[in-house]
Amino acid sequence: MKIIKLFLKSPSHRVTKSPRKLGDLATWSLGVFLLLSLTSCMEWEYGLEESFDASGEGLFICNEGNFQYGNATLSYYDPETKVVENEVFYRANAMKLGDVAQSMIIRDGIGWVVVNNSHVVFAIDINTFKEVGRITNLTSPRYIHFVSDEKAYVTQIWDNRIFIVNPKRYEITGYIDVPNMTMESGSTEQMVQYGKYVYVNCWSYQNRILKIDTETDEVVDELVVGIQPTSLVMDCNNKLWTVTDGGYAGSPYGHEAPSLYRIDAGTFTIEKQFEFKFGDAPSEVQLNGTKDKLYWINDDIWEMDVTAEHVPVRPFLPYNGTIYYGLTVCPRTGDVYIADAIDYVQQGMIYRYSKERELLDEFYVGIIPGAFCWK
Amino acid sequence: MKKLHIILLFVLFPTLVLSQEDDDIKWYLNLPEVTIYAERPIKEIGTQQTRLDSIVLSENIALSVADVLTFNSPIFVKNYGRATLSTVAFRGTSASHTQVSWNGMKINNPMLGMTDFSMIPSYFIDDAVLLHGTSSVNETGGGLGGSVKLSTKPAQADGFGLQYIQGVGSFKTFDEFLRLTYGNMHWQTSTRVVYSSSPNDYKYRNHDKKENIYDENMNIIGQYYPIERNRSGAFKDFHFLQEAYYDNKRGDRFGLNAWYINSNRELAMLTVDYGDDTEFENRQRENTFRTVMSWDHLSENWKLASKGGYIHTDMAYDYKRDLGNGIMANMTQSRSEINTFFGQVESDYYMGKKWLFTANVTAHQHFVESRDKSILQQDGNKAIVGYRKGRIELSNSISAKWRPIDRLGMSLVIREEMFGNEWTPIIPAFFIDGVISKKGDVVVKASVSRNFRFPSLNDLYFMPGGNPDLKKENGWTYDAGLSFAIGKEKVYQLSASANWFESFINDWIIWLPTPKGFFSPDNIKDVHAYGIEMKGDLDVALSKDWHLTLNGTLSWTPSINEGEPRSPADQSVGKQLPYIPEYSSTVMGRLSWKTWSFLYKWCYYSERYTMSSNDVTLTGKLPQYFMSNISLEKTLSCKWADFSIKGAINNLFNEEYLSVLSRPMPGINFEVFLGITPKWGE
Repeated sequence: MKIIKLFLKSPSHRVTKSPRKLGDLATWSLGVFLLLSLTSCMEWEYGLEESFDASGEGLFICNEGNFQYGNATLSYYDPETKVVENEVFYRANAMKLGDVAQSMIIRDGIGWVVVNNSHVVFAIDINTFKEVGRITNLTSPRYIHFVSDEKAYVTQIWDNRIFIVNPKRYEITGYIDVPNMTMESGSTEQMVQYGKYVYVNCWSYQNRILKIDTETDEVVDELVVGIQPTSLVMDCNNKLWTVTDGGYAGSPYGHEAPSLYRIDAGTFTIEKQFEFKFGDAPSEVQLNGTKDKLYWINDDIWEMDVTAEHVPVRPFLPYNGTIYYGLTVCPRTGDVYIADAIDYVQQGMIYRYSKERELLDEFYVGIIPGAFCWK
Repeated sequence: MKKLHIILLFVLFPTLVLSQEDDDIKWYLNLPEVTIYAERPIKEIGTQQTRLDSIVLSENIALSVADVLTFNSPIFVKNYGRATLSTVAFRGTSASHTQVSWNGMKINNPMLGMTDFSMIPSYFIDDAVLLHGTSSVNETGGGLGGSVKLSTKPAQADGFGLQYIQGVGSFKTFDEFLRLTYGNMHWQTSTRVVYSSSPNDYKYRNHDKKENIYDENMNIIGQYYPIERNRSGAFKDFHFLQEAYYDNKRGDRFGLNAWYINSNRELAMLTVDYGDDTEFENRQRENTFRTVMSWDHLSENWKLASKGGYIHTDMAYDYKRDLGNGIMANMTQSRSEINTFFGQVESDYYMGKKWLFTANVTAHQHFVESRDKSILQQDGNKAIVGYRKGRIELSNSISAKWRPIDRLGMSLVIREEMFGNEWTPIIPAFFIDGVISKKGDVVVKASVSRNFRFPSLNDLYFMPGGNPDLKKENGWTYDAGLSFAIGKEKVYQLSASANWFESFINDWIIWLPTPKGFFSPDNIKDVHAYGIEMKGDLDVALSKDWHLTLNGTLSWTPSINEGEPRSPADQSVGKQLPYIPEYSSTVMGRLSWKTWSFLYKWCYYSERYTMSSNDVTLTGKLPQYFMSNISLEKTLSCKWADFSIKGAINNLFNEEYLSVLSRPMPGINFEVFLGITPKWGE
């Protein structure tokens, strides 16, 4: 406002009176320039690290952030005190988490946060949230699974290899080549282990569950399911559960009614297929702490015993007009946590429900809360 | 640096030098007549426009139109980095709400709906007019924010002419510009070539990440913010523009413009990318050819003009990584191809001095193909993800402009558009202006219009995610403003304007993630954008040799989401849209003395929110920034040629700033330009 006012106030009658006045105007105007120049300063604050001591039980929430904007964050929620701390990675380390925080697991007091489009997996202390190390230069990491203290697998999208890493040295040590998969159509996702075998669902333009021998680091078998299996868990009876999204309209890979599959881990065969309506988009298969109840999102939130023969008629929690983006169940209390990304460009909301469907708490986290990790 | 300060001192305080001159100096002022302010062409009744003249556009061969708009207009330029996608938006709207034409032909990408202004060298544009809000309805529909008219003009050459400029700058940046002209009484031809290249690997302190120092047991024993280079940001852009104009001097003018672009740009890595840039390649290549042929027939009372044109664009995006054996494997290969045919007929008819009637019919026929070359394998079959579509776009308008008395003008425009087989309702626009005071040329203007914008082809058909059920965005815009102009012939000119606007846009299209892992557009928000735009221009001849020009703009543009909450937790309603600054301002000052010219450019953007809830977080912060650029030019002349030498400093105060999160911008950088214009035939 000031700048223009100065221009408008330039007294025109003076300008024409004398050469010296003209000069005055020039000096005055240029003085304004100088003033403008000197006011140029940004408001950045760097290097302020905050100390945390989150020694109790808690829940980490990976907030993806917006793809290509590098605004992924990590939130931490204490179910006991109902206090949430947002951006804990940034606050503890004075640096950003990165672009698209995809998933997190905990092993021996270390949290491993997979940041997809930053090509990195961060290792953090789960009480102080301080970084303890990182594995870099991954193609497009999605999930990490520990085979031993010195060996872990990192699945990828746009890569037909699963990366083998040494978590102690933060090094990539090798690759598992996935058969019948190109770099362009590469997609390996979530992992569960049964004995010496790790099972992996292949999602984007894929339709398979892989079986990997952890001794040889080779794919030894695969099982074809429906189009695009999105998630994978293993229940208390050693049954694998995956749910497909069925593809999308117009996809050259096909579009079909999605299904929930129960697969016997030992025989690696499909035991049961629960088919959904055409056009549904189920996702986020999760288990409770005792691994005898299954949960997933399909507009509503659904709950089912792992021994059930039919999908329930009524949902656990009905659709409330927003798109649920993430889901987890507290392994200790059975409370159900649901992530609402709202419009995907503001802090998402987490709703916490008891087993009895009672709303216990709700709290804002970061942009697009997608994945959870229990401490 | 010390030397720089001394130069600045002299340049910023020229009166120190002036005061030592002889008081008897006679002021000689080399200014155009001030009476131009009194001219209010009947065709521009009530319009709010900003014109960028050739002096501004041809300031520096290294500039794109995005750079020029940043420092010379009140519209917001969203810049993803140096020589990277730059989009512009008027008055709190989005980039796709800005309609852009080149010599009358729309050049918005029909797939994306927007225009990348970093791909338009300012040296290829001779005239640029920004039509704000309602004023865009005079030219086209769909400009919910406004429109940008870019044009070339005959060079007015007499005989052969040549101009060559070479620029060398920081980060091994090289710019070459060559123009050949020929002209006689009937013919004007021009050939322009621009070539720019740079590894673009500027250094910056990366505060978004830290480097770890480990001990032998891989314990972190130290961390620091690394000084990094802009990784994977190289570019090579080639532009060729051929023009030919024929004037038979009997009222017929013919024109041919052909513009070819070959661009090869890497897409720079984010500040939070931990990949090894030697193992990843992220590259976009583009070939575009645009041509417009025109015929204008002018007679005493009427004008008939017709144009025909064609655009071909093919774009390739490749994302690759090294598999460890030196072979770069494709992760993503996206291709798109656009062919557009354009035709336009328009006529102006003057009935006396009080009436002007215009009619315009414009057609664009697009054929597009988008494909992701990723090969899908299922049961041995292969398939490609993408779409192939065509769409005809018609835009027709008639207008009546009436100036019953000198001091009053009114204009009514009726426009209707058809995209595919869907018509808009009637798009009316009404303009009025009046002279309140002839002394000071105080003019008041007001206008109102309805407008619609059809979804882009990607909005409708992109695979996956396109939504063929999208509705048109639509809205009403109101404008009112006041301007004045004063001056004394050959002494000074001062003009300024303030304009209030208000827009209501419904069914705003936004792409959102879906549970299936891809994005899809939907009509979501109702937006109320309003505010004030102010401009001021001062032109003073200080003495026989000293000349000062100052231009400034200031915008206040709240753009508020007034839609329904998406869920009970939605905090975005009533808030400013993300990435749109509420305040912005520019200042440009040029001081010339004999054959020396000093230019100071300054711009300001207030803090931009990165969240629709307007919360400011540690990771989502885009603070306000001020940017200052300066340049100093000296022209020399000898018998056979004119020469110019120019030095420019960008980001004078080495500010650390961001236009978009995680996209580093260069610090202080330098450029030197040498130009030669032989005096053939003189």
